[in-house]
Amino acid sequence: MRPIDLFENYLDGKLSAEEIVAFETQLRSDAIFANAFEQHKTLIDALNKSEKRNAFKNKLKAIHTQAFGNDAKIVSIKEETNAKRYFKGFAYAASVAVIAVLSTVAVLSTGGYLLKQQSNQITNLMREMIDLKASSEAVSEAIVEGITKGNQKAVYAPANLEGSAFALNNKGYIITSSHMVNGADSVFVQNGSLERTLTEVVLIDAKLDIAILKIVNKDVSKSWEVPFSFSEKPTDIGEKVYTLGYPRKDMVYGEGSLSSLSGYFNDTAMYQISIPVNPGNSGGPLLNDQGNVIGVIRGKITGAEATGFAVKSNEIFKSISALPVDSTRNDLMNKPKKQTLKGLKRTEQIKRINPYVFNVLVYKKD
Amino acid sequence: MAKNRINPNKAFMSRSKVQFTEDQFIDGLRTGNNEVLSALYKKYYNIVLKFIVNNSGTQEAAQDIYQETIIVLYENVQKPGFELNCQLQTYIFSIAKRLWLKQLKKSSKTFLFKEDGENELVDVSEEITEHLNKEVELEKLTQSLTELGEPCATLIKDFYVQKLSMDEIAEKFGYTNADNAKNQKYKCLQRLKKCFFEILPVEQIERK
Repeated sequence: MRPIDLFENYLDGKLSAEEIVAFETQLRSDAIFANAFEQHKTLIDALNKSEKRNAFKNKLKAIHTQAFGNDAKIVSIKEETNAKRYFKGFAYAASVAVIAVLSTVAVLSTGGYLLKQQSNQITNLMREMIDLKASSEAVSEAIVEGITKGNQKAVYAPANLEGSAFALNNKGYIITSSHMVNGADSVFVQNGSLERTLTEVVLIDAKLDIAILKIVNKDVSKSWEVPFSFSEKPTDIGEKVYTLGYPRKDMVYGEGSLSSLSGYFNDTAMYQISIPVNPGNSGGPLLNDQGNVIGVIRGKITGAEATGFAVKSNEIFKSISALPVDSTRNDLMNKPKKQTLKGLKRTEQIKRINPYVFNVLVYKKD
Repeated sequence: MAKNRINPNKAFMSRSKVQFTEDQFIDGLRTGNNEVLSALYKKYYNIVLKFIVNNSGTQEAAQDIYQETIIVLYENVQKPGFELNCQLQTYIFSIAKRLWLKQLKKSSKTFLFKEDGENELVDVSEEITEHLNKEVELEKLTQSLTELGEPCATLIKDFYVQKLSMDEIAEKFGYTNADNAKNQKYKCLQRLKKCFFEILPVEQIERK
């Protein structure tokens, strides 16, 4: 019997008592089987939800036409025109003000992305224009927040994409996901202990979804002592793992366990993990209990909130070793040897890893 | 509770005049009463319409947002523990406002936002987050079904949603027997899974 038939018979109550026991035992002992069953349920559930919602939508449309039909249009066109007129007038006034402010800022700034502080007046103006409370999006927040902070604080234009990354070794090399930096115009990294700094992309492996960056300013990595190493031994299912990343401005910790030694459709280059990964987690390190890096967070699948995928760390080194032999390759093959995290409490490990996990900011030209 | 139940006859006979209480609205929505749904829809539309056209939206946008709002309400009311802790109007307005702001921000233009003191607000973050996650999932499903093409998409829906038997499906799609139909369904489902569960990169998209 194919697994799908088994799933369906189980869900339809067509299995015998004995078969049910066998089925449930397999669910508990076989992570791949359990995962396939979860996905089957998710998909069938989504199919039914979707149909139900479409039927309800059509009902609402019918009610709308019946209730408001054409009458509504006549009433609201007037309202709309008034609103538009008002909007245009105010928008024009506001945009003149903003252009004035921004051009002053641009003149004062030293780089393309750098905006400097002006005055509190700007803050007030921006507050009128944008609903701050409801708007958590970086565009408005970054500008307004920066402006209200002290005089020296630099303000940057929001990145097109943000994600996570972590140090590969003491030479200023950093690992992230290739889908982050593909087609990027410039890539910066920053964290609590490192001011935003420019990097260059030295390797992209789109198949593995891995990219390696190098910090351009050599001084930055002078004092680096990367505290973690890369695991060479295979990891076991069920092992406790955790990740650190930047789904928002501050670093966020996520923990769970290793659910499978392969990714979806048996991709052996990946692990499946039971850590909910969010936008921005891509490119973050996956660490085991001893504080060894075992993978790089890659993504998740639709409909399964607490399922993530990570590229295995040994795959990264396979990819690096395929590079032509030169100094960059030698640098990249140079794994951090000192592992100073073993036996430490998780909180202590994180403190030490902290400076070596970065927020990646990617700018793309439209 | 009993006195809040809708009398279907009464509702039918005095269609335009009947006034439902909020409990009746919730109850009717839960049980799928069309009369109640229609009355509820009409009652709160203007509040949302007014808000959206006053905040750089068109009437079409208002209609879409309002319908999405009612869907969120409808799906939340279905939940076993649902309890409304504020006026229905406040709840509906709060959801509509959040959905509209979300849409405005997606268009990434600078927009005007007039804060109005008229309408009270409640925290509907949970509802909105859940709704948006669901939207992503359903959107992905729609895409996957399109990619799957015909006759697969219809076959899958006929079996899993309409619950047609394999014999009926064999007949409808012209397969020689139920076993052949089942094989076909199996292949279709495998392909659908591959599309639907494709790994999504989780980069954070700030703006276009």
